[in-house]
Amino acid sequence: MSRRAWVRLDNASNMFLAARSEIDPKVFRVGAEMDHEVDPQLLQEALEAIYDRYRLYHAVLRRGVFWYYLQDSDLRPRVTADELPPCAPIYQADRRTLLFRVTYHERRINLEVFHALSDGTGALWFLADLLTVYVRLRYPDRDRSLGQGADAAAPRSDADRALADPPPPDDVAEPVHELTTDSFAYYFLRRRRRRRRRHRPDPWETRAAFSSEAPPTPLAVEDSVRGPTAAARVHRVRGTRTPDSRTRVVELTMPASQVLDLARAEEVALTMYLTGVFFESVRRSSGGLGSARTLAASVPVNLRQFFPSTSARNFFATTRVEHTYGEGPDDLGAVCRQLERDFRSAATPESLERKLRRFIRFERMPALRVVPRPLKDVILGLVNRSSNRGLSVAVSNLGRVSLPEPAAAHVRRLLFQVSAVRPQFCAISHAGLLTVSFTSPYLETDHVREFARILTAAGVDVTVAAARVTEQELAEAESAKVER
Amino acid sequence: MRRCADCDVDVEGTWDLCPLCEAPVTRTSGAGEPTANPWPDVPLRYSRRRLLRALLLTSIGVTLATFAVQLLITPGIPGLGVLRSVWLGVAALWLVVLMAVRKRRNLAKSTVYFVLLVGLVSVYWDYLLGWSGWSVTYVVPILCGSSILALVLIVRVMRIEVGEHVVYSGLTVLLGLTPLVFLLLGWVTTPLPSALCGALSLAALGMLQLTEVRHELAKRLHV
Repeated sequence: MSRRAWVRLDNASNMFLAARSEIDPKVFRVGAEMDHEVDPQLLQEALEAIYDRYRLYHAVLRRGVFWYYLQDSDLRPRVTADELPPCAPIYQADRRTLLFRVTYHERRINLEVFHALSDGTGALWFLADLLTVYVRLRYPDRDRSLGQGADAAAPRSDADRALADPPPPDDVAEPVHELTTDSFAYYFLRRRRRRRRRHRPDPWETRAAFSSEAPPTPLAVEDSVRGPTAAARVHRVRGTRTPDSRTRVVELTMPASQVLDLARAEEVALTMYLTGVFFESVRRSSGGLGSARTLAASVPVNLRQFFPSTSARNFFATTRVEHTYGEGPDDLGAVCRQLERDFRSAATPESLERKLRRFIRFERMPALRVVPRPLKDVILGLVNRSSNRGLSVAVSNLGRVSLPEPAAAHVRRLLFQVSAVRPQFCAISHAGLLTVSFTSPYLETDHVREFARILTAAGVDVTVAAARVTEQELAEAESAKVER
Repeated sequence: MRRCADCDVDVEGTWDLCPLCEAPVTRTSGAGEPTANPWPDVPLRYSRRRLLRALLLTSIGVTLATFAVQLLITPGIPGLGVLRSVWLGVAALWLVVLMAVRKRRNLAKSTVYFVLLVGLVSVYWDYLLGWSGWSVTYVVPILCGSSILALVLIVRVMRIEVGEHVVYSGLTVLLGLTPLVFLLLGWVTTPLPSALCGALSLAALGMLQLTEVRHELAKRLHV
């Protein structure tokens, strides 16, 4: 008899489950805009071709008495038209459904993932694989020119010649992403055993320990190192909820080089430059910060850069950066440089590891482990809510992505969005184009306007794309359709 | 492509007003033709979940309250017995329907809930009517016995995976052993139904795949 494989969730994922709500279902989207209209049939074929390599993506989420867990399933994914609002809820308790969806709309291919399953980096691997196979299917004659078929069609253009590069090896020999790979456990267990030989190795505890310790979510729990006094002064962005609680998305696309030049001029990295601009735009659009003069952002750090891992599951830690206006230089450059200093000191392997270990001690408390799951959800939800009070915004940067050929040549830009409980931006760049997607539970886009204006004033060419959210905006689209 | 002069940005899609500042956009390149909107226009959808949840909780609350109110009524008032039985029957039926709808995705689980719910209601009913033992003598054994038989059939016919039902089947079988306890304590007036149900449960217990039960329990109870 074949039993279904299962694996417990790490703590980040548990936090996502406790923190999810109607306005923030903890879903993120990574997508690609192609240079042609997407063929859903071929996309489906590509999805089926890669699906078996990603055991993790077969998983459904189930509820145990004390914890949630992921369990393998026989479900198969279907590519669908993009008919739901961006980052619409995926996980529904009691329904055994896959924890991701692949959709298409005109030129766009979207992968939406429930955050308990995977993080941005993990999902990006899946997307890169999907795009590679899809483009091969879409342009089969060019594939043959790669030497895989007998009929070697001569490349017809520069683009074709660009395609003639052999595919990188990882494209085919991608490691199978097993359901059980848990990098937290992997890194934690080895060190822990070495340090504490006397401790009886209880397989459950050891497996549980670090995995449960996964750091708080980039959107949710924050480290309260700075204490309640800091939290009390933190400015929180408020606004009008969208009519049906969908996520408000506004994308800004710009040449990456122009923004990089600006960041270099201030001697900071891109993420902190954008964060600095974000702070400034929130300040400008707030109409006066009042007494809450501190702006704080949560910034996730991909742990794979410090602890090599091929796990597609959550493997990140969050750091928090803040700036208090009115206490020293507040010009953009100074703010960015201060954020950069703070971020650099927080995002070292040592300090991240310290932080993770602190969580472990908390998590290992037997009293907490035996609390029934529904109660845990309430407790974690409260923890999450209290830490939310110390945050104004969140930022997340997946960085520069180089897709394997032949996919790279057919992808115009990559996109990245996260459902958000507070204004947030997610950045990703590909082929020289940086897309910064703002998501928010509120209708207001004033901070995005200020963000765009700061950049355009500095000479950056910005293009805006937005999803319609209000009744009025949707009606406007209807009338535009009728006119045509 | 359209352009917002105030924000100095290009606007993708068919926006007449700038999505950032709501100023009218101008049509620039491509003879003013808008580019396709990269985002689909998704009509507004309102979720009724919150309303349904409120209705559900209210109706459960009202039902439980009517059960509690029964305690205040002394038996023996002429003409009230029928009304009371009808009311208890309706309330119990409503609870069963709610439970069946909510747990419809897992038949084994809903069987356990069904046995517990109907068993408890009938014992309470019996108590309200002055305790003659009909609930533990007849209702509970028949309920448990028939649930075990039903589960055996359902699992076969619907080909439910072992892991999916084994915990709930196990619970149903355990519940099926309770009439034996009633029998031993001498709470029953006629021993036959309890004895039959007990025998059936013991037989079913023998059929349970204990390694599977252990595996499932380890999974669901991991701390």
